[in-house]
Amino acid sequence: MKAEYLMRRAFYSFLAFMVSLTLTFVLLHLMPGDYLHSILPYLAEKNPDAARMFREQFGLNRSISEQYLLYVVNVVRGNWGYSFLYGLPVLAVIEEKLRWTLVILFPSTVLSILIGMAVGAYSGWRNGSKTDLSVLNFMIFVGAVPSYWWAMLLILIFGFHLNLFPLGGYASIEALDVGVRISDVLRHAALPVTALTISSVPGTYYLMRNSTLQTTGEEYVLTARSKGLREMEILRHHALKNAMLPMVTVIALELAQMIMGSVFVETIFSWPGLGLLTFEALRVRDLPLLQGIFLMDTLMVIFANIAADLSYPLIDPRVKVGENV
Amino acid sequence: MSRKSAFSAGLFILGAYILVALLSSVITPYSPTALVGRPLDGPSDTHLLGTNDLGQDIFSRLLYGTRATLIIGLLGALLSVLVSTLVGTVSAYYGGGVDEVITRSVDVLMTLPSFPLLLVLTIFFAPSIFVISGLMGVLGGTQGIRIIRSQVLSLVEANFVYGAKAIGAGDLRIMTRHILPNVLPLATVKFVFAAQRYMLMGVGLGFLGLGDPSVVDWGQMISRAYYNGGFALGLWWWLIPPGIAVTLLSVALALLGYGLEEEIDPRLKRSVAI
Repeated sequence: MKAEYLMRRAFYSFLAFMVSLTLTFVLLHLMPGDYLHSILPYLAEKNPDAARMFREQFGLNRSISEQYLLYVVNVVRGNWGYSFLYGLPVLAVIEEKLRWTLVILFPSTVLSILIGMAVGAYSGWRNGSKTDLSVLNFMIFVGAVPSYWWAMLLILIFGFHLNLFPLGGYASIEALDVGVRISDVLRHAALPVTALTISSVPGTYYLMRNSTLQTTGEEYVLTARSKGLREMEILRHHALKNAMLPMVTVIALELAQMIMGSVFVETIFSWPGLGLLTFEALRVRDLPLLQGIFLMDTLMVIFANIAADLSYPLIDPRVKVGENV
Repeated sequence: MSRKSAFSAGLFILGAYILVALLSSVITPYSPTALVGRPLDGPSDTHLLGTNDLGQDIFSRLLYGTRATLIIGLLGALLSVLVSTLVGTVSAYYGGGVDEVITRSVDVLMTLPSFPLLLVLTIFFAPSIFVISGLMGVLGGTQGIRIIRSQVLSLVEANFVYGAKAIGAGDLRIMTRHILPNVLPLATVKFVFAAQRYMLMGVGLGFLGLGDPSVVDWGQMISRAYYNGGFALGLWWWLIPPGIAVTLLSVALALLGYGLEEEIDPRLKRSVAI
C-alpha cells in the first residue's frame, strides 16, 4: 500500500514536472521576439554575423524538436541551459538567488505560521466573542490589502519618513570596503520579512480559526471540560493538536503562494532573490532563465506537497500514508 | 461591525466603484491620457490630485483606472467560476472514466505554480486586459473544480435527484434544474473571492510592467509614481491614491465575500473548511 502510493505519487509528480517543462518550452519558443531583439533591436539588421553567432552560441539555430529533446535530456542531467542575461548556467544563477529568497522567506513563513496559528486558535476557541469578531474583522482587512501595498507603506513609513531601515537592497554601500556583515543584512531584511509576514498571516489565521472552530463541538473537548480542566489547557492539549492536521496541507500550499508574494516584495525592496530575478528575466525576455525559474517553482510546489503528505502520520498516528485525509 | 452591515458596506462600495467605472468618461474633468498641465503640479482647484511626471491629470487617471481593474477582476472571476462549475458538475455527475480523467488532470494542473505560469502566459500573448482575465479565469478555474465536484458528489446521491431520474428527466435537465441551483451559493462565494484575487493580481501585473499598455490602470500608475520620482520626492498625491483605490475595492470584495459565506452558513462553511 505504502510503496504503491509512493510510486503513484512519484509518477504524478514526474508527470507534472514534464507538463510544466513542455508547456514553458513550447510557449517560450513560440513567443514573438527574442532576447536579442528586445535588447539590441537593430543588431540583426546591422550586423547579421553577430546575431548568427549569438544564435549558434545558445543553440537557437537548431530545429525546435532538436532543442526540445536536448533541453529535456539536459534538465534531467542537471544542466538547465545558460542565462542570456548573466551568461552563466541557469541553475547556478537560480541557486544563488534562491539562497537570498530563503533568507526572507524562511523567517516570514515561520512567523506567519506561528502568529496565524496562535491568534487563529484563540479566535476560533473564543468564537463569537467580541475579541474574536474584532480580530476576524482586522484580519479580513489586513488580508485584503495587497502585498505590494504593504511593502510600499512599510518603506514609506519606516524607511523614508522615520529613517529606521534602509529603503532597499541587501547590504549598505560600506559592504564594498568591509564585506557583507550579517547585522547589516538583517537590517535590510527586516522590512521585506515584515511585509511578507503581514500578507500571509491572515490566510493561516482564517484557516486555523475554522479548524479550531470545528474541534469545539467534539466530544473529547466536552470530556476534558467535564474533567474540570481549565479552558486554555483544553485548547492547548486537546483541541490544538486536532485542529493542526488540516493546516499541514495549507502551509505547504502557502509556501507556493509566498513565492508569488515574493515577486512583488522583492521587486519593491530590490532584494536580490528569486522574485526580483523573475522580474528581471521577464523584463529582458531571458527565456532559459524564465524556464528555469518556472521549473524551480514547480519543483518547490511538488516537494512541499509530498512533504505535507508524509508528515500527516507524524502529527496524527491514526493516519497512514496513502489514505485519503 | 456585524456580518450583515459588513455585507451591505461591501455591496455599497462595490456599487460605487461600478458607477464610477461606467460614468468615468462623463465625470472626469480631463482625458486620462491628455497632457493637460505642468508636470508634477501639486493638488489644486484645476487638478484635484495634481499632475504626474508627464503632466496628465492624476484624478482623471484614477477614475478611469477603475474600468480596467473591475474588468479584470469580474471577468476573470466569472470565467473561473464558469470553468470550475461546468467541469466540476460534469465530472461528479457522470463519474467513472470521465471523472477519473478530469480528477487526474486537475491533480497534475494543481502542481503547476499558477502565478509564474500566468506571468509567462501574459508575456506570450500580448497583454490585453481581456486576454489577461481569460488566462486568470482558466488557470484559476482548475483550482475550484475540486470544491464544486465534492459538493456535486453529495448532491448526486440526494433523493430529489433520484426522484428526477425516476420521472425520466434527462441528464442536462437534472444538472441545470436540480443540481445547479444547489451549487450556486457556493459558486457565488467563490466568484466574489476570485474577483478580489484577480483584481489584485491584475493591478500587480500592471505594477510589474506586464499590464495592458493601452489602458489606464492603477498598477501602472503606482509603478510610475514609485519609479519616476513620486516616492523619492514625497509626492503622496501621486503614489497614495491608486493604492488606496485598490485597497478599498479589495476590502469591499472581502467584506462581501465573508458576508455571503456567513449567509449560506452552516452547510457551506463545513464544505469550505474541509
